[in-house]
Amino acid sequence: MADAAGRVGVGRGLALLAAVLSFVVLIAWPLTRLAIEAAGAGTAPVLAALQPEAMEAIGNSLWIAAAVTGLAVAGGLGLALLTEHAAVPGRTIMIVGILFPLLVPDFVSALGWTRAFGPAGLFDRIAGVEIPGLYGPVGIVLVQATGAIPLAYLLIVAGMRSRAEPDLERAARISGADGLTALRTVSLPLLWPVIAAAGGLIFATTMNAFGTPAVLGRPAGFATMTTRIYGDLAFSSSEAAFERVLGLSFLLVAVVLLALAFSDRLGPRIATRGTITGPGLEARPAGRLPLAMAWVFVVLSVVLPLGALLLTALTRAVGLPPLPEHLTLANFGRAVDSRTLPALLNSLLLAGFAAVACVTLGTVAAIAPIGRWRQRWSQVVTIGFAVPGSVLAVGVLLAFGRSLRDTLLIILLAYVAKLWALAQRPIAGAMDRVPIDLSHAARVHGADGRTVLRTVVMPILAPTLAAAGLLVFVFALHEVTISILLYGPSSATLAVAIINLQQLGDPTVTTALAVLLTLLVLACAVPLVALRRSWLHSVLG
Amino acid sequence: MTAALECRALRIAYGDTEVLHGVDFTVDTGESVALLGPSGSGKTSLLYAVAGFLAPSGGEILLDGRPVSTSRTQEPPERRGVAMVFQHYALWPHLTAVETVAYPMRRRGMSRVEARAGALAMLERLGLSGLADRTPAQLSGGEQQRVGLARAIAREPALFLFDEPTAHLDTPLRAALQEELADRRARSGTAALMATHDVAEALAFADRVILLREGHLVQVGTPIEVYERPIDLWAARLTGPASVLDASLVDARGANGSASIRIGESVVPVDGIAIDGRAGKVSVLVRPDWAALGGELSGTVTHVWFRGPHTDYRLATSNGDVDIREPGRPRVDIGATTGWRLDRAWLLTPGGTSPRESIMETGQ
Repeated sequence: MADAAGRVGVGRGLALLAAVLSFVVLIAWPLTRLAIEAAGAGTAPVLAALQPEAMEAIGNSLWIAAAVTGLAVAGGLGLALLTEHAAVPGRTIMIVGILFPLLVPDFVSALGWTRAFGPAGLFDRIAGVEIPGLYGPVGIVLVQATGAIPLAYLLIVAGMRSRAEPDLERAARISGADGLTALRTVSLPLLWPVIAAAGGLIFATTMNAFGTPAVLGRPAGFATMTTRIYGDLAFSSSEAAFERVLGLSFLLVAVVLLALAFSDRLGPRIATRGTITGPGLEARPAGRLPLAMAWVFVVLSVVLPLGALLLTALTRAVGLPPLPEHLTLANFGRAVDSRTLPALLNSLLLAGFAAVACVTLGTVAAIAPIGRWRQRWSQVVTIGFAVPGSVLAVGVLLAFGRSLRDTLLIILLAYVAKLWALAQRPIAGAMDRVPIDLSHAARVHGADGRTVLRTVVMPILAPTLAAAGLLVFVFALHEVTISILLYGPSSATLAVAIINLQQLGDPTVTTALAVLLTLLVLACAVPLVALRRSWLHSVLG
Repeated sequence: MTAALECRALRIAYGDTEVLHGVDFTVDTGESVALLGPSGSGKTSLLYAVAGFLAPSGGEILLDGRPVSTSRTQEPPERRGVAMVFQHYALWPHLTAVETVAYPMRRRGMSRVEARAGALAMLERLGLSGLADRTPAQLSGGEQQRVGLARAIAREPALFLFDEPTAHLDTPLRAALQEELADRRARSGTAALMATHDVAEALAFADRVILLREGHLVQVGTPIEVYERPIDLWAARLTGPASVLDASLVDARGANGSASIRIGESVVPVDGIAIDGRAGKVSVLVRPDWAALGGELSGTVTHVWFRGPHTDYRLATSNGDVDIREPGRPRVDIGATTGWRLDRAWLLTPGGTSPRESIMETGQ
């Protein structure tokens, strides 16, 4: 494959040029501007980061990320062991339930939790029960952990399927190990790299997260690094606040890159070997307790919050019980007004353009370099994805703010910088998986390099390109960290509108908008799930 | 004497698809038995049922007279006291060779130190001590499978299960490992059941061979029996190169199996199942070593394959194509008419399998 694509000649040179230029403009230049700004400020950002306000945010971010990582990995591992190693009645429904939160924007989940378990929420009104401290660290940890469990589950299941060959467990059993001993001595040691990699990834995404801490932390005055950056940038114009933004930004980048490097190093250590043949390992019926716990998890983390969200959106006014006579669709009518309709259009436009741009860039960049450079190149582009959204937004603002401030274009530039890797990794991965023999066969039967690309490689890649595009689209619809820092009077997105409305405190309209956004995301996710295999690969990079 | 393994009316199904349709056989103490069949015949499923990796849909499995699989109970694999050598080796990637061999010893309750010493001694005995600290990734295919064999021996089983143990090895290596497997097994004196699709492997390894076809047991016999006296044409083709000739049966004297056929001007003694009462046109099986060049019969050479130590010829004759194997380099050219003779033949049971083109197995 490499040399077939490699001999496109001039085309390849142009592709390389385009990819490198895009990288410089979109990712390298904003981050360099940020570095220059920080260097110009001397030691001020470092000192600013040592002030109590910043230190508190740093501490909060670190312990919350650690707690979320621990909970999510334990939960994901437990669920993975259950669905993969035991016979579970209603397995498909359970898996859909476990994975569903992946498709729900994090701030929407947080809103759902407040409607279900918060003050004046569903449970409060039915039974007078609420989760104490939902607004604050407890809620942030709970919501983010349940949001991260699907990711941990997905990564661990993928690891189980590709690495732990059933023969290895059979060999342990027939060597005299009972089920638990086989799990302890063979299955878990083989999974350890995957578990650690999942942990690193979840730690990094939790450090980067903005939506949940914004919805649940800001009302309680509880700041993390990302919400502190947002607060300093959006509501303060003092020199000291900007220095704090710089200091926090660099620290955040450093922590996140460290966590990702840790995750990357461990991930692919044990290579996949051999194919699995023969009949599958017979699954034993799942125990009652684990089964009950899994269903309780699905109900508490998915069904109740989203149900409460939906009920609130359908109820005439806050405080009314969700009885049939109080139900109405009017909130949706009120939600779509002269402010939110442009925001919805902005969101769709941004997501559409970002998807096209990222798939184009991803394809171009995957074609351009050959052999192991393709992987390196994917890693370089991943910098854009790894850098926290808040930090990237600050960089883009410094780099392009002078001429593009408050336009949709500046948000689009930041989105492409952020989501490029999301499209490129699956495309490059799929390209590597196209057997080189197929290209060789086409060459030997008369096709030149360009024709091979058109007639063999691209048709095989088509589902991956579609999946990559949809993935970028969905992420762009979700996105709030970047857009909330970059939007202007006419360039607010739907997600930004929801957050702003929530801070103003109008639950029925806010939830109606949140339901709308979630439905949009779900509509995009249907074809994505239909392209399931490519989708799994893209999520796993 | 109780058998090391006894399968009674064993059935295996995946959902609605039954892959083993009620099979009875035994493996006696100290005996080695090969399950020979093409892929999809159910041999790996059968092995997995004996190991306890899957529950049969019917029938019983007894190990040393002890029921381990019945309609009521399934013993888990770790309590069946059998060992397995896997087709894809199934070596644990996170363990070194010595840790791998120590694994079954540890599970028997040995201490870490004892098990390690025992494993080192075992590797020493098998000539593998140089590999002790390597992980599977640092071993060649042949080395991996020898470590797999060492692990199986370390289990001290009452029965070895071999699942196509040499299918993924290169030819020269395969022969060496086949010899080693047969040798180690024979020295341990432990009973063994081997699934294979390789005739040479089955004939060389086993005291008895079981022919398995689409989940049915077709024939059970010693290697010589299944080679010389196949129950039908399918069995004949599975157990080695086979030609089928038209002949007429003469002098069918009766149940003791003594009879002759006429082929051209020659009268050749023939053996077969249920000869009694048959007459006239018959089909006979001819193995390449049962015919020879030079004789009163006549044929035209259509193919010549030089194989090294011997040469295979295909002759077109008025009774059908016949393959003949002779030592040494080719002696006649393609297109030449040559004399040949038939020393013996096996009378095929009529009906059943439809005759196909005579196929000379390559690589034999």
